[in-house]
Amino acid sequence: MSVAAQNAERIVAALTRAGVTVAASLPDSWLSDVIDRIDAEGTIRHVRVTREDDGVGICAGAALGGERAVLVCQNAGVLLSANALAGYGLHHQLPFLVLAAYRGSYEDRFYYQMYKGLVTEAVVEGLQLPLHVVEGIEQVGIVEEAMRQAFLARRPAVVLLRRAALLGDGRQAS
Amino acid sequence: MKRSAAARLIRERLDPRDIVVVALGSTRRVWVELEAPQLTYYASDPMGTAPALALGLALARPDRRIVLLEGDGDLAMNLGVLVTIAGAAAANLRIAVFANERYETGGGQPLPSAGRTSFEAIARGSGWPWAAEARDEREAAATLDELLARKDIGLVALHVEAEPSPYPADAGPTSQAEDRAAFQRRLADER
Repeated sequence: MSVAAQNAERIVAALTRAGVTVAASLPDSWLSDVIDRIDAEGTIRHVRVTREDDGVGICAGAALGGERAVLVCQNAGVLLSANALAGYGLHHQLPFLVLAAYRGSYEDRFYYQMYKGLVTEAVVEGLQLPLHVVEGIEQVGIVEEAMRQAFLARRPAVVLLRRAALLGDGRQAS
Repeated sequence: MKRSAAARLIRERLDPRDIVVVALGSTRRVWVELEAPQLTYYASDPMGTAPALALGLALARPDRRIVLLEGDGDLAMNLGVLVTIAGAAAANLRIAVFANERYETGGGQPLPSAGRTSFEAIARGSGWPWAAEARDEREAAATLDELLARKDIGLVALHVEAEPSPYPADAGPTSQAEDRAAFQRRLADER
């Protein structure tokens, strides 16, 4: 099993421990194994979305119905979803988790990802949402804690996953 | 067809255990006026996300039918959600679109391509197994009957007249978060 698959297994195990039963996803190459693992998880209803703010709405609706939900996407999806995150976080006060691949930082080798790395944390802070960065898979416990924090704070929590947390140190996925 | 007539046709056909999700704007205001007995969540903002919210609720509560009363401006903001719903297999979700082809709350400006957009065609092309349009009360009654008799997702676009729908003078005594909590308490009580 690849490092990415092993890490995906641990991340999805953390999601199930956190009580997640609904997941919405939009792919990023770093997230392929996580999304595949979610799709294979029998206790999670997985919805593939066309835009990340659909995923925010789905997670909010699931929370409204009493379930725990996660949106899995690239950090571009966090940026795109700013209005939806603020609306469901601050106006409706509905809690859920956003797990986002943290593209555009020091470990990313693609120039077109850089702008996302420059602005993501500031945008999430501006949205007044809890924000955590998982540097490596050994910090996967943050996923479960962030869901708890989301429910205590009654708003979404955003967890950004570094490349090492998703793929290890290998350089296969782009 | 008047907006209020379309809303009454829906209300007459709903099951007491249906859950209604209502998008923002004039659709919200006409449903408030009817004082329907069904458990209702008024989705308010953010605009363009009510179908996704309703889908999430449908996924969380497969034991209940979720009926979204949607505005055409809200739906036009995010047509991709119809593709998402078509792939989500939430058989307990139904959508009725109030289509007046303009942004009523925003001042009555026309939708882009007003008069030439078919939400039935967009839904079918997005993979929905069934969708319809209704241009008068007779067609609305028939298509709503079919929508609610089905065992799978469906969408009806109800073409309603453009009528002024001003903001209420008073926003009301409760916040969205308080309304959300009240909805969740009643939902829990109805288990």
